[in-house]
Amino acid sequence: MNRKSLEHLLHSHHREAFIWSRQCCGFDSDLAKDVLQLTYLKILEGKAKLNDASKAKTWLFSIIRYTAIDELRRAGKIIALDENQELIDLPEEVDYTDYDAIIKMLPSMQQQVILMVFYHQMTIEQSAEVLQIQLGTARTHYARGKKKLKELILKSQTEANHGK
Amino acid sequence: MENNKLIESFFEDMRKADQSLDVAAFPETKTRKTNWFIPVGVAASFMLAGFLFFEKEPEVKAPAEVIIITLEQGPNHKQQFKIEESTYLETWESSTSSLLTEF
Repeated sequence: MNRKSLEHLLHSHHREAFIWSRQCCGFDSDLAKDVLQLTYLKILEGKAKLNDASKAKTWLFSIIRYTAIDELRRAGKIIALDENQELIDLPEEVDYTDYDAIIKMLPSMQQQVILMVFYHQMTIEQSAEVLQIQLGTARTHYARGKKKLKELILKSQTEANHGK
Repeated sequence: MENNKLIESFFEDMRKADQSLDVAAFPETKTRKTNWFIPVGVAASFMLAGFLFFEKEPEVKAPAEVIIITLEQGPNHKQQFKIEESTYLETWESSTSSLLTEF
């Protein structure tokens, strides 16, 4: 794929790529911009190559995710967490309109699988490719994430109803 | 599924809220225009320098022949012309050259 085609591809996915970058950066827009810039540089300088054009979105998301991990690590913002870490207690207050905060209450891997499937309309297989994990593992994160998220949403809705 | 509807509705609301996000403008990527005239100019300079450096100096061709006409005294004290042909003059000495110094 030549430079012009790559630029066209990046341009067409730009908004979604920025939103994914922000989600990978703990919803930090400024860091997301830097990560996206670095991602584009990697791609346009040929450090990351697209072998299968039909997998452009998963390829781009994967590069963004790994670039975000590097940048978060560099900024000292990454916390080593057990991938299987579970949310034990629900927080006392959950604001339904604070979507970012609700998502952040999920463990990292569950967040990303759930975001890719429900927000970015990807399949669990595609999310497994982005995260470079086994399909079975992705399904587990999906099921657990969905369960936790449902609890959080219901809790926030209950609080909203009581508050009225 | 009821379970998914709740979550889908949540993400629908989240997407609507994200519409107001300030998305960074797509960075302008500068195409590196190759200043091709620079390497071409350098190459042309080298070629010109090479052409001048290796240009053969014009060869000075020796005359095809030299005709030496001398006046000598022949038998019977008669003057006669002697005509010689040669390609070079290195070894030839005029027989009357002594007249220039011995007079």
